[in-house]
Amino acid sequence: MRSHKVIEIRNLTPSTYIIRMEKNDFTFKTGQYITLGFSGSIDRREYSIYSSENDEHLEVLIKEVENGLVSKKLKRCKPGDKLDIDGPFGHFSLQNDEINKKKFLFIATGTGISPIHSFIATHPEMDYRLLHGVRKEEEAYERDSYENGNYILCTSREKTGDFHGRVTEYLKQNPVSSDTVCYLCGNCHMIYEAYDILEKQGVQLGPIHTEVYF
Amino acid sequence: MKKVAFKTLGCRLNQYETDAIASQFQDNDFQLVPFDKEADVYVINSCTVTHQSDHKSRNFINQANRKNPNSILVVTGCMANNAKNELESREEINYVVENDRKSSVFSLVEAHYKGEILHPSKLNTDLFSYGSTEKGFHTRSMVKIQDGCDNFCTFCIIPSVRGRAVSRPIQDILDNVRDVISNGAKEVVLTGVNIGRYEFENYKFDDIVEQILELEGDFRLRISSIEPDGFGDKFLGLLNHPKMTPHLHLCLQSGSDPVLLQMRRMYTIKRFKEIVDRVRSVRSDFNITTDVIIGFPGESDQDFDATCNIIKELQFGHVHAFKYSIRKGTRAERMTEQVDEKIKTKRSELLRGISDQVKKQYRTEFIGKEQIVLVEKTNGKIAKGYGEHYIPVEFSGEELKKNHFYKVKIKSMTAEDEPVLTGEQMI
Repeated sequence: MRSHKVIEIRNLTPSTYIIRMEKNDFTFKTGQYITLGFSGSIDRREYSIYSSENDEHLEVLIKEVENGLVSKKLKRCKPGDKLDIDGPFGHFSLQNDEINKKKFLFIATGTGISPIHSFIATHPEMDYRLLHGVRKEEEAYERDSYENGNYILCTSREKTGDFHGRVTEYLKQNPVSSDTVCYLCGNCHMIYEAYDILEKQGVQLGPIHTEVYF
Repeated sequence: MKKVAFKTLGCRLNQYETDAIASQFQDNDFQLVPFDKEADVYVINSCTVTHQSDHKSRNFINQANRKNPNSILVVTGCMANNAKNELESREEINYVVENDRKSSVFSLVEAHYKGEILHPSKLNTDLFSYGSTEKGFHTRSMVKIQDGCDNFCTFCIIPSVRGRAVSRPIQDILDNVRDVISNGAKEVVLTGVNIGRYEFENYKFDDIVEQILELEGDFRLRISSIEPDGFGDKFLGLLNHPKMTPHLHLCLQSGSDPVLLQMRRMYTIKRFKEIVDRVRSVRSDFNITTDVIIGFPGESDQDFDATCNIIKELQFGHVHAFKYSIRKGTRAERMTEQVDEKIKTKRSELLRGISDQVKKQYRTEFIGKEQIVLVEKTNGKIAKGYGEHYIPVEFSGEELKKNHFYKVKIKSMTAEDEPVLTGEQMI
């Protein structure tokens, strides 16, 4: 377990925020997650790393959970506070031999965009499209980070996105070519449904290319 | 001569570690006695994977204390990590030794008898410094290749109590295997928490298996429990090696994709079936056994039916099913749709019925065929042991000896819940 000093909190919506911390000598593979909690506290939660492998700092994207214990406390942390980090964990990673050769489709719901942001920030030269499923446009977290045309916002509760409806509906209407490498991150139902749709469209999904958010 | 008694709960890795510790005690003039007998030292190698494991560990602590309140009572294993404060507060327990210091249990007891009271925190923390297991409890010689797990399945406490994945250097493993073979071991079993994720320098799990299979000697290799996500085509290609036993314990956990996702398992049912098909294409009677969790949060009747159906479809040789129980600190602890205990019990009974039936069907197929049995117990004329498929066999013959291979013609099967193949030695 390592202790990292908080640099800043960036509020993206009333309930979603990014904590930027000192990186120190921490290393990770883009797509991995950490467990985070206040120094000395036993209450910890898992968060995918939002920042790039190469950034000088470490960032996580957090959605405040209603009645949640840790996400509410973390939102109140201030620059200079110490957070304990354990990890990195997980096998949700890009294959080195594919990064510059293949075209990618990333599908995320809500804050499930976090590891995808890290993928793209680490390898901005990648040939990718990103489908981001949210309820409202305000949840299009830092969409300017993605190149124009590569980010497709699917909004289910309002018509303000690039597509009105769920990501799975978008996928049905816009089939994917079978040579696309797909990574899915977000809630269980989306992954289950999208997996099925992609498979029917002839995409071979590697078993490690999914990460569930709860 | 001082007496020592052991009780091991849980996984094969624990069994291996107990074997190694027991051998060390025997090498130092301790007499091994059954756990229900009076002993000078009791060692409980605990498990904490379910509530039931915790309960059993507590019962064995009480039992040891009742047998000899003046004994040295050592509790180690995963419960020692997970419930350290509780165990340390119990006066009857002399030492609570966490997993990473388990290999030094003998040093602790030895020091105790010399009047030096060592605190377990001062013990060596090498995860792989166990000695040989030749005098332990098993004929099969277990070799530890790995410890810990990084998968963080949402139900599982093991990464917290066994720590992050660590792999033993390949040369140490090969030396260990050569050593046990030269000491007469006929069956080597690879153990660890998540052995499919073995990774040392550039060597992966299939490399270690390949190199062990290439070693000289009259032995066979058994892979213990393995996750379906941790190996590739090279490993599958090694399954038809003459030294490889046709048995894999491939952990399924659920037959429903939505439940597998919630568990954060890294495979789908389709992928699992593909692996089973690939394995059975090597040998159609390959014994595939598995683990199933019943009543994981959110498991619907439909999800449970899917699990029952896949057990029938894949014809598992044995299903180790257990009811889900909340483990503190895991992600599933915070899941809201916990399944009622009565429903879990009902599903358990149903699933047990199905898996017993499937097991009987699978084992019946061996009647009339041959098995190479490694004898574990014998009176010279009747012997018990396991065939290459890891099915228990009892057979008759002449001048039968322990730790020898015999070719046996299977004639019938007993009618118990755990059916035993019966047969005769082939000359």
